[in-house]
Amino acid sequence: MDAQPGLTFEDLRVGEEYDSPGRTVTEADIVIFAGLSGDYNVLHTDAEYMKSSFFGERIAHGLLVLSIQEGLLERGRPARAREMLVGIKWKFKGPVKIGDTLHVRARITALRDSDAPGWGTVLVEREVVNQLGEVIQSGETEHLVGHRSG
Amino acid sequence: MATPNQFYFEDVEIGKVLETPAMTVTDAHVALYGGLVGVAAGPGGVQDFLPLCLSSGLGWRAPQPPVVVLAFMGFDWKFLKPARVGDTIRSASKTVAKRLLKESGVIIEERTILNQRDEILQSGKLTLLVARRPAP
Repeated sequence: MDAQPGLTFEDLRVGEEYDSPGRTVTEADIVIFAGLSGDYNVLHTDAEYMKSSFFGERIAHGLLVLSIQEGLLERGRPARAREMLVGIKWKFKGPVKIGDTLHVRARITALRDSDAPGWGTVLVEREVVNQLGEVIQSGETEHLVGHRSG
Repeated sequence: MATPNQFYFEDVEIGKVLETPAMTVTDAHVALYGGLVGVAAGPGGVQDFLPLCLSSGLGWRAPQPPVVVLAFMGFDWKFLKPARVGDTIRSASKTVAKRLLKESGVIIEERTILNQRDEILQSGKLTLLVARRPAP
């Protein structure tokens, strides 16, 4: 992989925190995601049906919100030169409705050697928070980040 | 929503493997998804979460009526091999556990996303809240 500007494993510290910019989830986001993914579940696409549902209106796809938080966090922290996502443990805790504004809080919880030469393992805890301060998704991601000399 | 072409908690069989149709991941997917969510492409030129997003739609086209999913509760997932533009991906899944609640049920589904060479790109477990069959 070509060398790119950005942080290396050595630059990261346990306890480092990031707070992303916010983003308002719109009807257009949900419609485009339904078209792109092919997931037309009534939860996301049928406004009339959802009026009488537990949620009262259409909700965003969980995977759309997961994807949006990934984009928000990329904007909310310094770039890494070389990085790979290894795993994720994730909980969808509450619905995201049209007009909700989300941001991501993240924290590095562990840094350790990896089996891959030239790469270190980074664990990150993340919370997706809405405009009311409710955590609507949260979990942990595991990454490999390249060493400086790697 | 109670139409005959839907599966409910009671219809889900533990251990039955369900394969979806396949879909070729294109530059258009990468660009549309990248623009929508603001995520740069990963090492293989495809964003990490894009194959999982596409598999959620492919699941609706599996040779079995879709289960009435009330909520996606969580997942535990590994990224084993980067997907590449031009890869033709599909997913195989099976329910490994079911738990009945009062008005709904929880199922744990094991899912793998494979490419055209049957290499496993991603795999893990999803926890889904599904509807019980309505009383007749």
